[in-house]
Amino acid sequence: MVAVTLSLQLIAWTVIVLVIMRGIPGHRRAVTIGAGIGFALGVAGVLVMYRLLPGRVPLGMIKTALGVSFFFLWTIAVAAIYRSNVRDFPLLRWGWFVDTPLSAWTGAIMAGIVAGSIIACRLPGFDIAAIQLLAFAALALAGALLASAARAVERLLPSLITVTPSALLAAVVALLLFCSSSLLRLDLFSPLSMKVMKGIHDFVHQFMESILIPDHIFIRPAIWGYIGILFGKEVGFWGGMVIWFTPAILVALAIYCEPLPSVAHIRQGAQRRRLLADAIRTQRYRLVIPAVAVVALAAAAYQSSFPSVEYWDPKPLAVTATPAGEILIPKKGEVDLEDGKLHKYLYKRGDKEVRFFVLMTPDGKLTVDLDACAICKPDGYGQAEGTIICYYCKTLIPLDTVGKPGGCNPVPVPFTERADGVHIDGMSLVNNWTRTVQATTRVKEGNK
Amino acid sequence: MKRLFRAIWKILSSRALPPVIIGFFLVVYIGIAFFSDETLTVLMAFTRGSFFLAAVLALLPLNCACRIVVEADRYRKRRRALSDALSGLQPSLYDETVDLTASSAFADLEVRIGKAGYRTRRSDNLLAAWRGVSLSPTRIVFLAGMFCLFSGIFISLLSRTVYRRPLIEGEAFQAPFGNGGIVERIVFGKSSGPILARDLVMEVAETGSGGRSEKFGVYPPSRFRGMFVYPRYLGIALFYRFSAPDLPGGYEKLDVLPLYPPGKEASTVITGSPYRITLTLVKPDDGSDPYITGRMDFLFKLLKGKDVLFSGNIARGGEFARNGYRLAFPDCRRMVITDFVGDYGVQLIWAAAVLLVIALSAWLPVRLFFSRREMLFRSEPDMVRACSRAEGGARKHAGAFHEALDLLEMKKNERPSYEDGVAAK
Repeated sequence: MVAVTLSLQLIAWTVIVLVIMRGIPGHRRAVTIGAGIGFALGVAGVLVMYRLLPGRVPLGMIKTALGVSFFFLWTIAVAAIYRSNVRDFPLLRWGWFVDTPLSAWTGAIMAGIVAGSIIACRLPGFDIAAIQLLAFAALALAGALLASAARAVERLLPSLITVTPSALLAAVVALLLFCSSSLLRLDLFSPLSMKVMKGIHDFVHQFMESILIPDHIFIRPAIWGYIGILFGKEVGFWGGMVIWFTPAILVALAIYCEPLPSVAHIRQGAQRRRLLADAIRTQRYRLVIPAVAVVALAAAAYQSSFPSVEYWDPKPLAVTATPAGEILIPKKGEVDLEDGKLHKYLYKRGDKEVRFFVLMTPDGKLTVDLDACAICKPDGYGQAEGTIICYYCKTLIPLDTVGKPGGCNPVPVPFTERADGVHIDGMSLVNNWTRTVQATTRVKEGNK
Repeated sequence: MKRLFRAIWKILSSRALPPVIIGFFLVVYIGIAFFSDETLTVLMAFTRGSFFLAAVLALLPLNCACRIVVEADRYRKRRRALSDALSGLQPSLYDETVDLTASSAFADLEVRIGKAGYRTRRSDNLLAAWRGVSLSPTRIVFLAGMFCLFSGIFISLLSRTVYRRPLIEGEAFQAPFGNGGIVERIVFGKSSGPILARDLVMEVAETGSGGRSEKFGVYPPSRFRGMFVYPRYLGIALFYRFSAPDLPGGYEKLDVLPLYPPGKEASTVITGSPYRITLTLVKPDDGSDPYITGRMDFLFKLLKGKDVLFSGNIARGGEFARNGYRLAFPDCRRMVITDFVGDYGVQLIWAAAVLLVIALSAWLPVRLFFSRREMLFRSEPDMVRACSRAEGGARKHAGAFHEALDLLEMKKNERPSYEDGVAAK
C-alpha cells in the first residue's frame, strides 16, 4: 500500500536522475552515485528531524528549499530568455560550469536530498519504532536503486534528445514540485495563489490611488465590472498559474528563439541549408525537456487544487438575533459547543448573510470566528486532526492558534461567554464580515 | 577614470539592469511577506524610508533614459549607414556581418535584390537595401513611456503628501494650507460620460476681495494650490438635538456620518451618556437618490446600552418625541471626504499611459506586417563587407542575404565580363 502511495513520487525521482544524467552527459557515474547518496541523506535527515524537532521544522525547511529553487528557476529562465534575444547580453555565461564533476556531484546530491526528504514525509507514521526505521531504510534503498535504474534507461533514450542547462533546472524543479504537491503542508501552488491574489489586489488598489481614480460609486457598473475582475475570486488562481508555468515556458521560448548558427561565410547553398536544418532539428529536440517540466507543473497544480483529503465541515445552522441585535448560541442543545469540533452558523440581516463558527480550542477556550480570513476569498474552513484548513489556500492552521488574528487565521469576532452560551453582537458581526470579505462574499454554499 | 565611466555607463544602460532590479524588489517583497500581510504597504514604507532602496529604485528610470540615448544613437547610425554617411559599417549594429573577397560591382545585385521586394540605394562603394518600417522609433516611445512610469512611481512614492478633510456644504473649504473659501454647493448627479456614472461638483467661493468661484470635479481631478482635490467617499453632515428624561439639558452635535449609499448603517454616540443612535439613509420608493435630490429621510434606532428604546423615521428638519425623549434633525448637509494630494508623479504616470498605448498600437502592426529588414554591401580595399539585420522574418531575410552573397562571389569569378559592361546571365 505504501509503495502504491509513493509510486508516482518514485517515478518522478527516476525521471529527475535521468534528466540530470542527460544534462551532464560527461559525468553519468557521478550523477548516479551522488543522486543515490543525496536521496538516502534526505530520507535519513527527515527521520532524525522528526524525532528531534517539532514536525513543522523539517516541513518548513523543505518548503523553503522548494521556494528558493523555484525562485532560482525564475532567475535562470529570465536570464535564458534575455540571452537568446539580446545578443550583447553579458551576464551569466554559466553554461560551461554545468558539465563539470563539481556540478554533477552537487546537483545530484542536492536534488537527491530534497527529493528524498519530500518522499520520506509521505511515509505514514508507524507505532513501532523498529518498523518505522525499516520503512525509512527501505525507501532510501529504493531511491538509490532507482537512481541506478535511471542510468540504464538513459542509455536507451535517443541521442538527439539533449538538455540545456536551463531546461535541466526547469525539469528538476518542476518534478520536485510535483512530488511535494501531494502533501498539503509542502504544497507551494496554493499559498502562491493566495499571495498572488493579495499582491494583485494591493497593486491594483495602490495604482488606482496613485493615479487618483475615483471610487466605484462614480464609475459606470460595466466599466467597474472590468476593473473588478482584478479584485475577483479567480484572479489568484490564474495569476498563480501564470507565475507557476512562466519559467518553464520562458525556458522553452529561450531555446526556440536561440539564434541559428551564422552561415553567411559558407558559399555552398546546400551546405548552408544542411547546417541550418541540423540546428533547427537539435533545437526542436531540446524542447522535449521543457515540455516535461510543463507537464510536471500542470500535474502539481492539479494535485494542489484537488487534494484527496476529507474534512469535518458541518452545514451552517441558521441563527437569529434579538431585537437589540444580540445573537445567543447555547452551549448545550442541538450542538455541544464544547466538544472540540467546528460548529458553523449562518446569520442573515437584511440582504446580508454572515457565516461564522464556534470552536473550543485544545486549551479549553471557546472562540468565535468568521468562516473567512482577511486574505483569501471566503471559501471557509474545514477541520482535520489538530488543525483547520483554509479551503482557498489550503493553509493548515493549528487549533491552538484559532481565535488569534493575522495571516490566514479565521477573523476573530468579539463575543461574551456566559453560563447560558455565547453572546455575539449582530451588527458588529455583519460589519466585520462586510469589512473582511466585501465584494467577494460567497455564503450560499451549505455543506461542502 | 575613462574606463570607470565606461563601465558605469555600460551598467546603467544595460538591458539586464531592469530585471535585476525588479528581481531584487521581488526578493524583498517575498521576504516581507513572511512577516506581514500588508506586504506592499510595508515595502513602500521601507523604500520611502531607506536611501539605499530609493537609490536602487531610481536606477529604473535612469536605465530607461540611458537606453533611449543608446538606442537613438544606434538608430541614427544605422540611418546614416544606409545613406552612406558613415565611413564604415559597424558589425555591432547588425545581426550578421561577413567580409568576403568578392566583386564590388553592385549593379546586378541591386536589380536582383530589388526584385525580391527590397528598396535600394547605390553609391560608388555602397549598396543599401531595406524593406519595412523600423521598430526603433516605437521602441524609443516605449522607453520614454517606461521612463515616465518609473519616474512617476519614484516621485510619487517619495514625495506624495495626503491631507484628508471632510468638505461640508456651507462650511469652510478646509484646504490644508491657508483659507480656501466656502463650499457653496455640492452637486451630485448622473453623468452622460462613457466612464463616469455620476458627477460630483463642489462649488467653492473664495472669500475676500474678488470672490471668485471655483469648481472641483471627480476626474480628472482639479487642483487647488498645487494639490489634487481627490473626492473619496460621500456622506452626510448631520446636525441633531437629543434630550431624554435623564438628560434634560439636551445634547446637540454636528456629526459627520458615512451614510452613503442609502442602506448603509452608521452610529453616533451621545457623549457622557449610555445613549447611542444608529442611522440609515432611507432609499426612496421612487428609486431616486436622496443625495442627488436632497430629500433625506433617516431610519433611526435609539439605544440605551444594548436595549433598543425606540426606532422610526425622521426626515430632514423633522423631529421625534415620545415618553420624554426628543430627537430632532434640524439640518443635514451633503459631505464629501476629500483627499488633498500633493504629488508630482501623477502627471508622469498619466503621460506614461498615453506613451505606452501609442507605442503598443504602433508596434503590433509594424512587427506583424511591416517588419524591417536591411542589408548593406560596402566595398572596402580588397574585400566587400556585408551586413544584415532583421526585426522580423529573419529566416527569409537571411536566405535573400545569403543568395546575394553567393551572387557577389559568383560575379568575382566573372569580373572581366562585368568590367566590360556585359551582363552575365
